Amino acid sequence: MEIGESSESPEGKKKSKSKTPRKPKDSVLKQKSPAEFFADNKNIAGFDNPGKCLYTTVRELVENALDSAESISKLPIVEITIEEIVRSKFNSMIGLAEHERVDEELYDDFESAKAREKRLAKEARIQEIQAKNANLGKKVKEPVASKAMKGRGETSYYRVTCKDNGKGMPHDDIPNMFGRVLSGTKYGLKQTRGKFGLGAKMALIWSKMSTGLPIEITSSMKGQNYTSFCRLDIDIHRNIPHIHVHEKQDKKERWHGAEIQIVIEGNWTTYRSKILHYMRQMAVITPYAEFLFRFLSDAPDKNVTVKFARRTDIMPPVPLETKYHPSAVDLLLIKRLIAETSKQNLLQFLQHEFVNISKSHAERLIGEMGPDFSHKMLVKSLTSQQIVRIHQLFRQAKFDDPSGDCLSPAGEYNLRLGIIKELHPDMVATYSGSAQVFEGHPFLVEAGVSVGGKDVKQGVNIFRFANRIPLLFEQGADVVTRTALKRINWNSYKINQAQDKIGVFVSIVSTKIPFKGTGKEYIGDDISEIAAAVKTSIQQCCTQLKSKILKRIQAREQQERKRNLSKYIPNVTGAIYDVLKEMSHLHASKRKRYTNEDAEVLNKVSNHIITRETLGEKLAQHVEQVDYEMALEYATQSGVNEEPRENIYIQTLEGESKFVDFQSPVFVFRLFQ
Amino acid sequence: MADKKKRRRPADPDSDSIPFKSRLKPDSVILQALKALAAAESTPSASTNPLTLADLSLSQACREVSDLPLSSVQSTIESLVLSLTHSILSGQGLSFSVPSRSSANQLYVPELDRIVLKDKSSLRPYANVSTVRKTTITARILQLIHQLCLKNIHVTKRDLFYTDVKLFQDQTQSDAVLDDVSCILGCTRSSLNVIAAEKGVVVGRLIFSDNGDLIDCTKMGMGGKAIPPNIDRVGDMQSDALFILLVEKDAAYIRLAEDRFYNRFPCIIITAKGQPDVATRLFLRKLKTELKVPVLALVDSDPYGLKILSVYGCGSKNMSYDSANLTTPDIKWLGIRPSDLDKYNIPEQCRLPMTEQDIKTGKDLLEEDFVKKNPGWVEELNLMVKTKQKAEIQALSSFGFQYLSEVYLPLKLQQEDWL
Repeated sequence: MEIGESSESPEGKKKSKSKTPRKPKDSVLKQKSPAEFFADNKNIAGFDNPGKCLYTTVRELVENALDSAESISKLPIVEITIEEIVRSKFNSMIGLAEHERVDEELYDDFESAKAREKRLAKEARIQEIQAKNANLGKKVKEPVASKAMKGRGETSYYRVTCKDNGKGMPHDDIPNMFGRVLSGTKYGLKQTRGKFGLGAKMALIWSKMSTGLPIEITSSMKGQNYTSFCRLDIDIHRNIPHIHVHEKQDKKERWHGAEIQIVIEGNWTTYRSKILHYMRQMAVITPYAEFLFRFLSDAPDKNVTVKFARRTDIMPPVPLETKYHPSAVDLLLIKRLIAETSKQNLLQFLQHEFVNISKSHAERLIGEMGPDFSHKMLVKSLTSQQIVRIHQLFRQAKFDDPSGDCLSPAGEYNLRLGIIKELHPDMVATYSGSAQVFEGHPFLVEAGVSVGGKDVKQGVNIFRFANRIPLLFEQGADVVTRTALKRINWNSYKINQAQDKIGVFVSIVSTKIPFKGTGKEYIGDDISEIAAAVKTSIQQCCTQLKSKILKRIQAREQQERKRNLSKYIPNVTGAIYDVLKEMSHLHASKRKRYTNEDAEVLNKVSNHIITRETLGEKLAQHVEQVDYEMALEYATQSGVNEEPRENIYIQTLEGESKFVDFQSPVFVFRLFQ
Repeated sequence: MADKKKRRRPADPDSDSIPFKSRLKPDSVILQALKALAAAESTPSASTNPLTLADLSLSQACREVSDLPLSSVQSTIESLVLSLTHSILSGQGLSFSVPSRSSANQLYVPELDRIVLKDKSSLRPYANVSTVRKTTITARILQLIHQLCLKNIHVTKRDLFYTDVKLFQDQTQSDAVLDDVSCILGCTRSSLNVIAAEKGVVVGRLIFSDNGDLIDCTKMGMGGKAIPPNIDRVGDMQSDALFILLVEKDAAYIRLAEDRFYNRFPCIIITAKGQPDVATRLFLRKLKTELKVPVLALVDSDPYGLKILSVYGCGSKNMSYDSANLTTPDIKWLGIRPSDLDKYNIPEQCRLPMTEQDIKTGKDLLEEDFVKKNPGWVEELNLMVKTKQKAEIQALSSFGFQYLSEVYLPLKLQQEDWL
């Protein structure tokens, strides 16, 4: 959850961002609030169109919920509900009377006489073709129901509710956490899902733009005997919350966490699969969480309820906040660190505000900075020129790489579980690399490769995760996609890139993910450190799989060997017999002499004692014997090594249940009623 | 290319504009040089007998095949089939011992200047999943060859493939096994009576008989005479040519044939239109040994040009078991050599940058023995890899379509500029 932080005022960020895209038409200088800027450029945060808005809203709420639960080391339970509100219901909700269309031609979806003629002609033609096909006995396809008019008409309104069992929010902070863009708790240097303090606020801005309805927040923290309820919207021009209700209510149940409800315009039909994919991939990367996803609408057949059950109790550790690495800072950042530091002199500042600078190292650095610098000089008294000098030295000097201790990867175990749980693959291999560094930020790549499974398409299916969030859009340019499709030679691992159902899972965690573009949707292919790490991780998985696949091929060969060997018996004996026959003719006509043993064979051929069949039988006997020997050999070889066993997770049962035990000396069979 | 036919310009006044044309001496002077070359070629070869593998006492046993008459091919197949029959009847199944044709089993013999096979061979048993198909195909091919022997006819590789498409599946499989069978039987592929389709052509001062018909290659029109696939029916070669000109490309060949280059400088022009086939290589060898004239090669200035040269010269890897009959020793590299690019001021737009693959091939070639033994070639190849530029024969057309036949080649011959 994001809490308003006074020290991190939005002004600094706002200036640089709001200036760039604006080109004042007149000379009147205008100021823009951050909220206004993001309202104008909502695509930056992933709010491109109503469908994507619905998706991004769900995504932001789910990620906040997970962060909140994980921050108190609680196994997350997230319930997300999307409720469809048709236009008429929405109108009555806001108290708008339903209007009948009077002037039909005024509307975009009005069908002119000419268009209708065209459509009818087309339909008639289709029917004719179908009738013809039916006469010819061809399979008749179901006539495609002509879709309703596309476009604006199809968007509808949705109430999105997200409930978690996380930390909750302090009563007084709630308005600022939702009603002020660019305020948040996640600005420090650590691995987090969100980063900019935008998500929930953007959803609110979008709801204000599309429906005008406020957001409702219910929250309770551990140890609070009340529940905070808040209904608010945002004053976009001033970037401050506009509070409707903010009160403490009686706590009815023992619960801590937050429930957020928001009504927005969206498009379920076009983004349904994206949202479900997102939930599924989220379940893969966070198998320790429980998700309940529901979609409710007036039409019961459209309703969706998916429960992603928890499969493990093991949670990755909470990511630690870390200090900056000297090679990752810029001038502004140094100035800010100087302003915020509690250390007095330069030596202490260098030693304590950065990672990988020890005391002796700091002394050497100060010596290198030049005669203007000394250990004892006050850090706040540094001039701009001196700061530039420090920055330059940081750029040129060599520092040890930051350690990956501050990262919190999903973990090989969790990744593996997640893949098995959601895909049920035939085979899976996972690999976790060691931490590496890009521009002073540590990163860690984990990968999993699966073969087979349900609901997996043929070919390479790519699942990308950055800081444990699934990435769904802009797959083509992503480093993982490029690597998996272009730089992995699947054939050499006995995997058929076109035919097999391959799942490639790559999770990258870092204190700063180098996203490309504004939407935080993909990681560029131009960072050689990351590309190399991704490649090795996938290759490691493939190597593990290869031995399994080879074993399987061997097993299959065992089964098919006899068939394959027998298949060619008629061909080979036929060829040999044909030559023998020609020879026996020559022999009989005395045109060519053969010696005793060979002559005997040829005589038998001419007397039909040796025929095609006798040769075939003899060869079949030989094949049988060889097959038996090889099967025996295989059995002695493979009998020893068995697959390592894996622990399975059985979920704890909630509450008391009635059951009957069937006892036996080796096990208990428990029947629940 | 015929459409490029241009009217010959009458001794045009602006002939100075064509580079290097002025340096050409009269044809008679050039002919003098060529005659000296041809004379040098014909004398020593008469005195020294061509070396054979048996003459060398190599530490390793090597394998070579020889031309066998049809009857002995037949009897070899028959005794092989009989031994297979005995093996099957005794319950041992069947298996072939196939000489390995892989590059690990190849050896370059500098004394002979060609690649030969070492004596490694592998067993091809029937009762093994990985070899069962190949064994079956081998047996089938043997049977088909036996039929050819009985009927004494020739078929093409394609014909052979079509006799049992279901088993062979695609022609590369039957072709590969055909080469295996040559090795097993110890005979050349042509003695199996299996031929490849005609690919090479010849034109120029040559008269020979093909299956009894007398062919005059000066009267074969522009296209020339297709080189007959079964070399054993070629004979009675007569020629007054001073050299054989080996051309890599069809386009250059047509230029030379149309300009009747062979009438200006008596020669025989041969091309296989790219990688040479067996028939062309056999024909070239026959020409060289019977007529005793030098062979000059005109190939592209790129690694592949040199590779083609090497196939004529010391054999391809694929057919190394038969290198004795297929290779023509002592081919001289006339052009286009990397050093010619600057020597003849070939304009920048006609040169191509070498791709990474080209450069790699070039560097690999530098490691090959047949290049190393000729220091001149090493120098040229080094230059090519260093400048990273290649050029095709057609690059010379930038000075006019006939530059090749009217200036470049005569000048090269005049300067005796071959390696």
